[in-house]
Amino acid sequence: MIKKVFAWVDERFPLDEMIKHELTEYPVPRNLNYMWSFGFLAMFILIVQLVSGIFLAMHYKADVGMAFDSIQHIMREVNYGWLIRYLHSTGASAFFALIFIHIGRTLYYGSYRRPRELLWWTGLLLLLLLMATAFMGYLLPWGQMSFWGAQVITALFGVTPFIGESVVIWLRGDFVVGDATLTRFFALHYLFPFIICVAVAIHLVALHWVKSSNPSGITLHAKDNIPFHPYFTVKDLFGLGVFLIIFFGFVFFAPEFWIMPENNVPADPMVTPPHIVPEWYFLPFYAILRSIPDPLGGVVAMAMSILIFLAMPWLDRSNVPGGAKFRPGYRIMVYVWFVDLMVLGYVGAQAPEGIFVLLGRIATFVYFGLFLLLPFISKREERRSRVQGLPREAERLIREEQEELLRSEHYLRRENDEKELKNIRKRLEDES
Amino acid sequence: MRRLLVLLSAVAMFATAQGVMASAAGALKMVDIDSSEQARQRGAEIVVGTCMMCHSLKYIKFADLKEIGMKEEQITALLEDQDIDDRMLSLTPIEIRKESYGKVPPDLSLMAVARQKGPQHIYTLLTDYYYKSAEQEETDNHLFPGIKMPDVLAYADAESDDERAEIEAQAHDVASFLVWASDPSAESRRTIGKYVILYLIILTTLLYLLKRRVWSKLH
Amino acid sequence: MASDKDLDSPDRRDFLGKVTTAVGAVGVAGACVPFISSMNPSKDVTSKSTSLVDLASIPKGKTHTIEWQGKPVFVTHRSDETIADMQDVSTEIDPQADADRIQKPEWLVVVGLCTHLGCVPNRNEEGWICPCHGSIYDNSGRVVRGPAPSNLIVPHYEFVDEKTIIVGKKV
Repeated sequence: MIKKVFAWVDERFPLDEMIKHELTEYPVPRNLNYMWSFGFLAMFILIVQLVSGIFLAMHYKADVGMAFDSIQHIMREVNYGWLIRYLHSTGASAFFALIFIHIGRTLYYGSYRRPRELLWWTGLLLLLLLMATAFMGYLLPWGQMSFWGAQVITALFGVTPFIGESVVIWLRGDFVVGDATLTRFFALHYLFPFIICVAVAIHLVALHWVKSSNPSGITLHAKDNIPFHPYFTVKDLFGLGVFLIIFFGFVFFAPEFWIMPENNVPADPMVTPPHIVPEWYFLPFYAILRSIPDPLGGVVAMAMSILIFLAMPWLDRSNVPGGAKFRPGYRIMVYVWFVDLMVLGYVGAQAPEGIFVLLGRIATFVYFGLFLLLPFISKREERRSRVQGLPREAERLIREEQEELLRSEHYLRRENDEKELKNIRKRLEDES
Repeated sequence: MRRLLVLLSAVAMFATAQGVMASAAGALKMVDIDSSEQARQRGAEIVVGTCMMCHSLKYIKFADLKEIGMKEEQITALLEDQDIDDRMLSLTPIEIRKESYGKVPPDLSLMAVARQKGPQHIYTLLTDYYYKSAEQEETDNHLFPGIKMPDVLAYADAESDDERAEIEAQAHDVASFLVWASDPSAESRRTIGKYVILYLIILTTLLYLLKRRVWSKLH
Repeated sequence: MASDKDLDSPDRRDFLGKVTTAVGAVGVAGACVPFISSMNPSKDVTSKSTSLVDLASIPKGKTHTIEWQGKPVFVTHRSDETIADMQDVSTEIDPQADADRIQKPEWLVVVGLCTHLGCVPNRNEEGWICPCHGSIYDNSGRVVRGPAPSNLIVPHYEFVDEKTIIVGKKV
């Protein structure tokens, strides 16, 4: 019976072929470690956010007079409303934690390098969309932090030359963050996830075209690839189990950990809380914003702190394959950058006084300095590797890959596939 | 694995950073707040009898007090003009309260989560009153200098350690009740949570075994 | 790829796999419960599931419309003649004795929604007439003329004391 149904569908839709192509015959390097599970985890938490968000929207009221009360209505009167709301609020933090690790993995293992540039850029686009969605969602509870966070961030657009003031008022639909702002943020907070879903689909199409990178950073010999299902479905699901234990630990036992106390006070446009801090996932960028004395410069620096990642495929000029594993110079840079990011995060949480101003400026300088140093370091490192030779493991992997490429060149020459041949020649050139 | 730990600790650091930054408030008395029904019920009586002269708890209904084990008779004994299904609102007209304090005293429903270390904050605030001068005319508060709220538990008037201990116990009960009020579902949340975590540990163990079995086929 | 063959091996669907799948399925089903439950009436709505009606304010021969769970409920204080009239009327569409529709003869309590399509019928001397499609009900709320298929619904209600009733049950 089931077979018949599948046969009927397959005649009209390439279901079987899709399952084969994307799952049961989709080749994945067998040496992936658990760092490669975070993309899947991020997708899982996206679904959690979508579902919990839709159910919250059934009870939430986007009106300055009712928003705060409607959250308490959800928390106290809606059946399991507290669970759905805590899932959503904890989920937002979890989403960023997962995405940051996912991006950190990409940087460490050099997964942004050729031919995965588009994969990398769509990923960065997703990060920006996620940040925008989170920022707008944070206004909805209409607490003090919600209000003043939105007030401060929308005010940043005031640095736009010539039309700054009107841009800010246009964004808010009011002279301050008000009812119009809340309602439009709600509409957009509901809209953006659709755009995110499309971007995720593009991200996945790109991934399945170029296939996963791997810890060695060198394309593996075909025999070292294994099908996604069942090997990585079960591996990712185990990873999901571990993640869920941590996630639900927070949801059930410390949900308030992710909600700032100030946000349990209704928004008051007349009183600013003594210390405004963004959510933890914005702290490093907030620190960069504040460490530039000029307002326009600060906003530009904050935007650049993320946009500069787009340039990674060009900044990294080394021809040594792989990421940090076979590249000691790059490895040190990545570690310095991780530490620097933590320092920035810490500074972002402090009041901008005394030592923290200086520390923030140094960390900002280091942050951008590393990107600017990268072309030189990567070139120097490559020269050194040429002299000293690569680690034996890397040599072997490269040899194996080249043998395979040569074999396919031989095969293609017979078939006269000029275009494919040109691609392979280019790769051989790049890697020698 | 080591890298994973490094990254996770990075995330944890960001997270704690925001905890660290706000805890710099005045010295709090770090008492443990009991979550027994008795403490909460005593707290409820003080809150209704004293705090609700000026404060409201608009997200709570009197009938909700059944959740902390109060009997219907106990609750009706607390009522004045209100019905048991009414929200716990102060009966003092809003204009009078606004006039006395310059603004409407804040709602207490969420007070225990609206400050860093909320329960201790409430406890400390109630037991930090002192007389500004020997004439015993004007009180002030160490935690919140210049506070408009009067010394409702008369802590500054207490003359012996016994008296002070009694007031401290009252402050504790108020904090305990307000902790409940800020999140009435907390208890059922933790109960459900235990089962969910237990379930997830079982599922994850099974997935781990399955993963090992599936991968053992690879040579 | 190394292991296409392993995919089809029969022990793939063995005990461990089945148990894990079953446990996982239970979890997914369990996760649906709070979401489905959240769409049921919330606590503030269910607390309004009953309405108190003060009968003393309804003079003999008059009908008051009260609100119960958002719906109109007709509470009629019937006169002795009306009660007598209602005893021998035999309706054809949905025959029912007047005694089965009341607790005390002078008090008729019915949900004020036409059983045809849910319009609110208008009161007249003889009973009610629905403005939508002209269904007619008598003074016991029984349907005399269609298209309504059945009598007006008698909600659950109890006499708290002589002069007060509570309509509905606590949820």
